[in-house]
Amino acid sequence: MHFVPLRGLLILAIGLCLFLIQASARFGVSRMFARYALATNSIEAADEAVQLTPSDPEAHRARATIFNRLQKPDEAAKSLEKATSLRYRDDYLWIDLGNTREELGDTDAALAALDQAVRWAPYYAHTRWQRGNLLLRMGRANDAFTDLRRAALANPRYAPNLIDLAWGISRKDLKTTESLLDIQNDKERLGLIRYLARNGKGREVIDEIGFLTIPLSTEHKTELAQLLFNSKAFKEAFALRQGAQETSLINAGFEDPLVLNESGFDWIIAPPQKNRLAIDVSEKSSGAKSLQINLDGSWTPGTPLLSQTFIVDPNTSYRLSFAVKTKDLVTGGPPVIVVNDAVNNQLLGKSDNFPTATSPWTKLSFDFKTLPTSQAAVIRLQRNNCDSSPCPIFGTLWLDEFSIEQTIIALKR
Amino acid sequence: MNQKHVVGSRVIAALLLLAIVQVSLQVGLAEPSNTTTPVVVPQQVVARLTTRNNQPVTVNGLSANTGASILTGATIETGADQSATVNLGSLGSLDIAPNTKLVLTYDDQGNVKVVLVYGCAVLTAKKKTTGEIATDQGTAAKNDPAAGGVLNVCFPQGAAAPTVNPGVATTAPAATGGGSGGLFGLGTAATIAIFGGIGAAALTPLFFQDNPSGSNP
Repeated sequence: MHFVPLRGLLILAIGLCLFLIQASARFGVSRMFARYALATNSIEAADEAVQLTPSDPEAHRARATIFNRLQKPDEAAKSLEKATSLRYRDDYLWIDLGNTREELGDTDAALAALDQAVRWAPYYAHTRWQRGNLLLRMGRANDAFTDLRRAALANPRYAPNLIDLAWGISRKDLKTTESLLDIQNDKERLGLIRYLARNGKGREVIDEIGFLTIPLSTEHKTELAQLLFNSKAFKEAFALRQGAQETSLINAGFEDPLVLNESGFDWIIAPPQKNRLAIDVSEKSSGAKSLQINLDGSWTPGTPLLSQTFIVDPNTSYRLSFAVKTKDLVTGGPPVIVVNDAVNNQLLGKSDNFPTATSPWTKLSFDFKTLPTSQAAVIRLQRNNCDSSPCPIFGTLWLDEFSIEQTIIALKR
Repeated sequence: MNQKHVVGSRVIAALLLLAIVQVSLQVGLAEPSNTTTPVVVPQQVVARLTTRNNQPVTVNGLSANTGASILTGATIETGADQSATVNLGSLGSLDIAPNTKLVLTYDDQGNVKVVLVYGCAVLTAKKKTTGEIATDQGTAAKNDPAAGGVLNVCFPQGAAAPTVNPGVATTAPAATGGGSGGLFGLGTAATIAIFGGIGAAALTPLFFQDNPSGSNP
């Protein structure tokens, strides 16, 4: 007698297994169709996936993705609405629905969807970021920035984008930008300062530095000066680096060690040439050292071997002086010192050719006038072109005692 | 209960009430004020970015994805496998091909200008919108605002001059399906792949967490 319920149980178990196998197979095939549909943008395959598992939100989502790709947002929205009804706690589905509804021009419905996204993932950045952007496009800037700020707090990766949006929407007005960012501490303000420096807003950088509660560290000063230099805000970069805005040269007599920077206000040596240059303690025009340059044949005319950027006033005349000494210098294209505008590279002035063969310390100088737009200029050691090619150069030369002086007061416009 | 106990209870009750009222008062005072002055922002058209396959592109040197806002003056850059569309609302839309860098400016007076640094772009201008695609060599294409229209310009890196293509460019994804034969016309190889994968797919778990973001970041 007791075999009967056992047999019944067995049949029930087999039936359950068969049902599960069938359900798993349907589910698996549906997912395969969905993946295939996504890979090939096939609506038919997506529809088949939905037909096999109408209660699987992923099938509806795949269908929506394809309709969105085919620029049919109305159909995509229907599929996403079905998907969100099946898995209403999925914030990514709500975001997709919000984006699709916005594509359809229904911003209120889009906002309702993104409200749901925020509801189900309130502490995450991506939901707030999406809703903030939508609110911004809806003209609700204050609400938008409340969300965008929270997104940047949750994920600092969004912080530069937040600053960029605030700067752009305020039409580059620093006060409005600050208000939108609602800066609470030095760290946030430093983020804004970095952004401004990267965009060449030197005056604004200096103003914002004044609002910091703790003075800038040397490391941050160097970083900001470099950002300002790279964005061609030379005056402020120099002020930050050197603490002054006057025209002067750094390490003009080569008394300090050469720092091999790739940019900045110190001497810059072209990387392939760095082995040819050395500080010499036995030869000097003044002080205790000079710069020795050994030339072994190769130096492409027009290519600078050594350069330094320095601050100038616009529309102003200057005189650049330096001392040079040569030994066995043989070339058809002798070296010269040139000065170019730092922004547009226009030639402002040029020295006489360096003496060839062997010569004692000789003082050379030349005058140049800056452009009405000049902020900075660049001294370069380069060569004249030869009459014929190849154009080798051999020998040794020394440089010392660079100096710059203003000769005529700026004609202020 | 004697008289002493009654008086004691009343005193305690009174003190408790006072304490509660005081705490409430302090909490009320400590509440942040809601009198923040709203920031006045100039009203302007804000465009919307959609990236293909949700691949991020670069906007003003920063990574941006679908749903990002694009403001006038934005520099947009796409990589080799990235493309994007900027929805300009009532002004039209801009499709940006892979390997493209451009500067997009527009205003609420119906002007849209694309300065193509390199790459390809298709500007679809609606009626009453003056659309223009330019390069460093000058204007490459401009539409008649009365009719709107599509401007399709390519200026690949290293090219001597931009190419103005006639007609509407293909904006549909490159991976559009095709083929014939097999299941639903998906092709024989695909059909074999589908049925081959059924076994493995059947093992896919039946139940998934329905909130991918969880309760905490």
